[in-house]
Amino acid sequence: MSVQMIQPKPAPKLRLKGISKEFIAPRTGQRTLAVADFNLDVQPGEFICIVGPSGCGKSTVLNMIAGLEKSTSGSIEMDGKAISAPGAERGVMFQDYALFPWKSVRDNVGFGLRHGTAGAGMAKAEREDRINHFVQLVGLKGAESKYPHQLSGGMRQRVALARLLANGPDVLLMDEPLGALDAQTRLVLQVELLRIWGETGNKDDRKTVIFITHGIDEAVFLADRVVVMSSHPGRVSAVLDVDIPRPRTEEVRLDPRFAELSEEIWSLIRDEAYRAIA
Amino acid sequence: MPATMPKQRPLNAAVLPGGERGAAVPPQAATAPAARYGAGLFLRVWRSRWFIALRSFAIFVGLWALLAAWVASPLQLPSPATVFDAMVGLARKGELLSQTLISASRLGVALLVAAVIAVPLGFAMALSRELNAYLDPIVELLRPISGIAWIPLGLFIFGVGGTLPVFIMTYVAFFPLLLNTIDGVRDIDRKLLAAAKTMGVTRKAQLVHVVVPAALPSVMVGFRIAFASAWAAIIAAELIGSPSGLGFSIEWYRQLLMSPKVFSFIVLIGVVGYLSDLVLRALQRKLTPWAEGLGIDA
Repeated sequence: MSVQMIQPKPAPKLRLKGISKEFIAPRTGQRTLAVADFNLDVQPGEFICIVGPSGCGKSTVLNMIAGLEKSTSGSIEMDGKAISAPGAERGVMFQDYALFPWKSVRDNVGFGLRHGTAGAGMAKAEREDRINHFVQLVGLKGAESKYPHQLSGGMRQRVALARLLANGPDVLLMDEPLGALDAQTRLVLQVELLRIWGETGNKDDRKTVIFITHGIDEAVFLADRVVVMSSHPGRVSAVLDVDIPRPRTEEVRLDPRFAELSEEIWSLIRDEAYRAIA
Repeated sequence: MPATMPKQRPLNAAVLPGGERGAAVPPQAATAPAARYGAGLFLRVWRSRWFIALRSFAIFVGLWALLAAWVASPLQLPSPATVFDAMVGLARKGELLSQTLISASRLGVALLVAAVIAVPLGFAMALSRELNAYLDPIVELLRPISGIAWIPLGLFIFGVGGTLPVFIMTYVAFFPLLLNTIDGVRDIDRKLLAAAKTMGVTRKAQLVHVVVPAALPSVMVGFRIAFASAWAAIIAAELIGSPSGLGFSIEWYRQLLMSPKVFSFIVLIGVVGYLSDLVLRALQRKLTPWAEGLGIDA
């Protein structure tokens, strides 16, 4: 097991220090510790995947970074500043996409730019150009005027991704974005996600990504580092470097290192996974 | 009318991940051999929804005719034929249209007034816990009181005229609009608000661009219920407190012992109510096309 100490680097993009989250049931007053002593430094442009058994508090960690939930203790900093509320610099892609059903594909993609802080100082033409660019990027050209209920799961997922990117956040927080898709579509979109993230381009242009998944192979395929969580309470059990070079293509899945890393992660969560269904 | 009909929307399962439709099997395929002899077309028409409705209507009129023949009192139950004659006569004189227009315009005013008060109030009550705590007990106290109960008091206040029916209908339409608006705002998908927040959308913009459209399907349902309740209440209000309108006409011809004409107006009330609901449904589909996909329907 290679539990790695995080190298002290000058300016992490995100710093999670001793985060814990306790939920108190409204009527019974029963306390549940969902996340305990969670520590993580994320470098700019890094792709982090968080894996763990279901119910380990992965989504809770993500929601706290997004500012949608408050941590019970500890601190979360972005560029050295404490996070207390949601903001456009931290974009979220939700598990079930959370698209606005009354908005067309185009209006969903442009929602943040039109009504949020990100597009506030932008000229109308620039805003429309941006929307066009991201609609094109995720392959939704021609479907702009459709509504979410007219789209397949894979296409909805693309709309959610375009909406996330169009708003221009610094940090992308993705909560099992490919979870609801069938296996083939997942594989295709994993490759596409890396392309859109800018794997082939300049390293400095990449966004910082925190990606939650329960797919071990998905985590190894996508991530620079994989954070493995254990549950009850949710804590970091290991952080693994994925030393498979980029750009990664389909062949990576045949790489012996890919199998090795997947096996290592599986060995970390296997016991809990078995216990959960026993 | 039949309460349910088979929804013939394409299921998501028929849509491939990339978005292309799978090759759908044409529904006619099963009846193709019969269609060659013309029987398929006949069966399709025979089983079609409107044709079933037509048969159902014919059976209803037939039973009515039998019952009228058995009762044999044109005063208590005139036959369909005499009612039809009376309707044609009233239509020729323009009375059906003029009385319908009077009642309908009262209904329109009442629904407008009720919506202007109830919808904003519903939003306010759903969004402010304190306001809700103040108003909810009063609403729950007034709600079970039928609009008809206010007619005697309304006669003192407004006298006989057009104002009384409008007042009664506004009262009746108010509650379904208010309660459905409150429900619509409360049942909003929290994820959508969270999504707006993480895109840096201000509270005011969240209200305009998320809360209002999210509540709209429920408000539309409230509007349809309000319409149906108000249309039912207008007859009682006009029967007693108005010198014109459909309810007044029923009472007028009753006093003249002209049952076929009384029945003519009763039939008209049903037809106008039914057709208006069809229009409102169409409007609902037009204004909130996504609601059908979400399975919201009344």
